[in-house]
Amino acid sequence: MTFQGYIRSSSQAGVRNYLGVLSTVALSNRIGAIAASGYPNSCLIAGDFPRGLQTQDAALQDQVLLQLACHPNLGAVLVLCHDRRSAEKWRSLLEHTGQRYRVMAVMESNGIQNAIDIARDHLSQLSLQLSQDHRQALPIDKLLFALECGGSDASSAVCANPAIGRFVDRHLTAGGSAIVSETAEFIGAEEVVARQSAHPEIADQIIDRIRLTEGRMAADGDHYRGVNPTAENLDAGLTTLVEKSMGAVCKIGDSKFTGCLDFGQQPKSPGLFFMDTPFFSPCSITGMVAAGAQITLFSMGVFNPSGNPLAPTIKICGNPQTVRDWPDGIDVDLSQLIRGNISLDQAADHIREKVIQTASGTITLTEHWGEGQFMIPRMLPCF
Amino acid sequence: MGTMGRITLTVHADDNVATILDADIDQRKTQAGLPILGNIKFGHKVALRAIQNGESIIKYGIPIGVATQDIEPGEHVHTHNCK
Repeated sequence: MTFQGYIRSSSQAGVRNYLGVLSTVALSNRIGAIAASGYPNSCLIAGDFPRGLQTQDAALQDQVLLQLACHPNLGAVLVLCHDRRSAEKWRSLLEHTGQRYRVMAVMESNGIQNAIDIARDHLSQLSLQLSQDHRQALPIDKLLFALECGGSDASSAVCANPAIGRFVDRHLTAGGSAIVSETAEFIGAEEVVARQSAHPEIADQIIDRIRLTEGRMAADGDHYRGVNPTAENLDAGLTTLVEKSMGAVCKIGDSKFTGCLDFGQQPKSPGLFFMDTPFFSPCSITGMVAAGAQITLFSMGVFNPSGNPLAPTIKICGNPQTVRDWPDGIDVDLSQLIRGNISLDQAADHIREKVIQTASGTITLTEHWGEGQFMIPRMLPCF
Repeated sequence: MGTMGRITLTVHADDNVATILDADIDQRKTQAGLPILGNIKFGHKVALRAIQNGESIIKYGIPIGVATQDIEPGEHVHTHNCK
């Protein structure tokens, strides 16, 4: 099974050949957005990335941004910094990565218009280099999938999540990789983790992360019904977090975890990985994309718009009413599964078909709308 | 329609609730013939048997919550009677 993708010097496969514009600090977001707007093949990577983070949070932000700059879906990247010193640091960070790059500091310019002109000049040069790249047939096992769910309801647990699980089982058997995240949504699914880990130590590592998150949720005396399960989960009939978790975990099918990752940490081998992340999808997807995921498989019950600008998001839904009401937001309609008209294997076939199309260049509806965010978690207050 | 009853899914043999998987809220029984008390929306749960206050709500064969009041067979199970 192959798709038409871009092979990178890292030997990773890209499913897009974006001209990246990475704004390393919120101060340069606007200039980055203006510069990128003239380039239809650009992908703006920006967020509320602050200065003044404490050590561990600063290190995570630096690491995640560097990994995003080198993501295989980027054919080249312009890194925008505010100050000269930061630009120097970025030049040395990128020097041996194999990525095509330019780095500029806004403060090295003479005026806002001048900064925009300089950025556009860099983008023109990089764009020329990008135009030399061509798609070629690559094996599907080169794909690392981010597995995500949002707007979960009862249909998620019996349609979209198990269908993703069946697809993932096949993908892993073929030598491919996947990451699943959102630690809070494993609370209650510990037995499944224990049963579906390749080694007991891996299960212990994952369950330790679940316990830590559960402890933090309990420690502040607040209660989280209405936060997670979210208000729309509750409206859709999910009553408790355990009930939600048991549906979410179906995304891994019958496969076994081969590792436990920190936020944004890159897997060193093929397999199925758990990543310790917050449950908010724009944030958890950022972690998995930073780890190298080229495509996100996003299961929905009721609608959820989120995605990631860098890794095409395939929205998969089995709730007939959602499919009817949100046709411009759903890429794979699995409502025939809940009606009993197709099998789980056929549902997984539909996902595979959309994956091959998407990986070969067909845009998803999330891309069509330009939807998606980058969010990096922080554990400590900013200075 | 009319005589078919509502589509329900019982995930595990030990479950004391099932999930309603259609939007036909006017129907008053499940396909298995269990009378349904009131309107239950798509994706919500129905009690398959009497559940006492304090007893576990079982779905996927595991406790997903605890009943906060006595629940009749056929009753809607959600945040008003389960935590």
